[in-house]
Amino acid sequence: MKRLIRLTTTLLRDWLRNREAVFFAALFPLLLLLIFSLVFAGGPTEFEVAVQNNDLQQTDAGPGGEPTELSEELVTAMEQTDVITVERVDPHTNLTDTTQLEKATGHKRVLVIPEGFDERVRAESGRVRMTVIRDTINQTGAEIPPSDQDAIERGLAALGDDQPTGANGSPATVTLLTTPDDDAAGPVTSILNSVVGTFNDRSIGVEEPTAVLATEQRGNASFSAPDYFLPAFIVAMILINGVMTVPSAVAKFKRDGTLKRLAATPLRQHEWVLANVAQQSILAVALTGVMIVVAWAVFGVTAIPGPLAIALIVLGAVAFTALGMIVGSVIRDPGSAISLGGGIALPVMFISGIFWELDVMPSTIQRVAEFSPVTHYHRSLRQLLILDSTDGVFLTFGMLGALAVTFLLGAIRLTQWQEFD
Amino acid sequence: MGTSRSDSVIRVDGLRKEYGSTVALDGISFSVRENEIFGLLGPNGAGKTVTVELLQGLRTPTAGSATILGRDVQTGSLALKERVGVVPQSFHTFERLTARENIELMRDLHADPAEVDTVIEQLGLDAYADETFQDLSGGYQRRTGIAMALVSDPDVLFLDEPTTGLDPAARRDTWEQIRHVADLGTTVVLTTHYMDEIEYLADRVALLVDGRLAALDSVSALIDQYAPGVKLVVRATDGPGETDTVETALEDAAQRTYRNDTGDLVGTFADRQTAQDTFSTLHAADTECTIDLISAGMEDVFLELAGGTLDAAGELR
Repeated sequence: MKRLIRLTTTLLRDWLRNREAVFFAALFPLLLLLIFSLVFAGGPTEFEVAVQNNDLQQTDAGPGGEPTELSEELVTAMEQTDVITVERVDPHTNLTDTTQLEKATGHKRVLVIPEGFDERVRAESGRVRMTVIRDTINQTGAEIPPSDQDAIERGLAALGDDQPTGANGSPATVTLLTTPDDDAAGPVTSILNSVVGTFNDRSIGVEEPTAVLATEQRGNASFSAPDYFLPAFIVAMILINGVMTVPSAVAKFKRDGTLKRLAATPLRQHEWVLANVAQQSILAVALTGVMIVVAWAVFGVTAIPGPLAIALIVLGAVAFTALGMIVGSVIRDPGSAISLGGGIALPVMFISGIFWELDVMPSTIQRVAEFSPVTHYHRSLRQLLILDSTDGVFLTFGMLGALAVTFLLGAIRLTQWQEFD
Repeated sequence: MGTSRSDSVIRVDGLRKEYGSTVALDGISFSVRENEIFGLLGPNGAGKTVTVELLQGLRTPTAGSATILGRDVQTGSLALKERVGVVPQSFHTFERLTARENIELMRDLHADPAEVDTVIEQLGLDAYADETFQDLSGGYQRRTGIAMALVSDPDVLFLDEPTTGLDPAARRDTWEQIRHVADLGTTVVLTTHYMDEIEYLADRVALLVDGRLAALDSVSALIDQYAPGVKLVVRATDGPGETDTVETALEDAAQRTYRNDTGDLVGTFADRQTAQDTFSTLHAADTECTIDLISAGMEDVFLELAGGTLDAAGELR
């Protein structure tokens, strides 16, 4: 035990004096936490949409006056979404050459409202209202005497004759022009579809909804981006340290003869493995503390780790450090060791929702992520640190515990203590 | 060959090590006596490091056995590591730790260590003990390595190529430290490919060639047996070309001629009279050379037994 403690303190001291290791293992995850939290903490994203409104009121000299009432109502409806910022494009700007959209307007996406929009919407509105009335009569026909039904039909026919010109049974069309490199074209199209749908409802007089969606968050009062990313990047830090930094350090000790020197002392190989695991566990707890303090100071996140959270952090550090010891034991070159470690850690972090929530990933990836211990690790850590819950935590303990035992035995078995190259 | 004295602290019996079809060590046997500096001499790849690593329990022999202080090096490895100090070839340790911290680590890995301050003082490390290992010169790094081995208070100390890569002053300094360690009562096993190191330090020498033990005895006995004569060393003062005029004369008179690792022309003579006559003849020729008449050494023994000489890197030529 004395040897184990002494070697652990030596490894800690050596690590703390290694600037590259400190940056890579501590500051790098901290920077990621700050960047990701800041990027995603700014509330809903706003999309800029330029509008070319060609539907102008008639003047004595022809079209060219103020925008028509309904075309402006559509623009207002867009602005009321809070996620769209409307910019104006001169109606005289020529958009026929679609390859020059951004050059001509200075915008990646332009919504074109055609001339006659107001008139066509009004016509379609009347036609649709009449259709609705007819449908209503048909559905309630048994309750209306036949003589009254005939009178209503005659009235509707008379109204139809008074419809504005241009009402030919097709809706008014607004067109969204986008450039090929417009990454936000998809979400903007969805938002505009929603806006147009609401506009349609209003144009036929449907002001009161028949069904609405309410969202209600249970448990924690507010869950912000830093709340998500703090546990995620604590796990990332543990994974990077265990699977990338440790193999590199072990391979270096092996190559420069330090390990051979230690093997010639009474130190045994399991003590070497356990000392590395203990060092990383201590670092994991200490660096978690640093990240929690930074998250509190910068984002106001309150995350006080209890015994279960600390135990989970240590268990993960044990499992992933032992995995790193296995990688370091089979690779001789430190550069190759860090590459192999990165080849394991980075894809696992990507598919496990470290960098973004799993919900935004394809369903196949989401299914795969459920098999990743890293997914369960940061999810459970979030339960313990942020949500003050133990949902799924004990499953994660079991999973990480099994991995820790397996990797520890593997690391002890594979760590070379004789026949050095 | 070898010794059967009862005060032997190391006994090696038919030790053999194979790597696939390559025989690194071909069944060597020898003993090391208590409190002697025992030299293992040989070119690179002769089997010196394999031998000491087998004795340290860092390798498993293909055949044969070895004991240190009466314990088998395989079965008693853990107990032996308490009593055996090691300074490996290309020694390295935690480079961001100070010399003192590295020595303290070694102290704490052993059950019955010496005082750190005492060892630091013995090796003259006082002024550098708080420098990080990576900031120390090669000579002081080697001293730190020896201190790390000595702090375990070993009965046997293995030094594997302890002066390779050091400048002449640092080499000489390291030699004095090794002498000092031996004077304190520690048995030292020294592997090297430097002839002068062996001649200066070793009480007895085992000469390894191609994994086999070619000779084993004291330096003087080996010289008496294998290179009893004297030699003339011709060093050109204006460049090697100037020796052309004396080369023919030397080849005619000497038993054998060769160039040593500094490029000097060397002629060996079985008897001193012939060598002195040749020395006079060459001097009379008034060449631009410096000519020295010296006794034969381990290099000549090596020449005789291995059929070549060693360059500065330990490669057989």
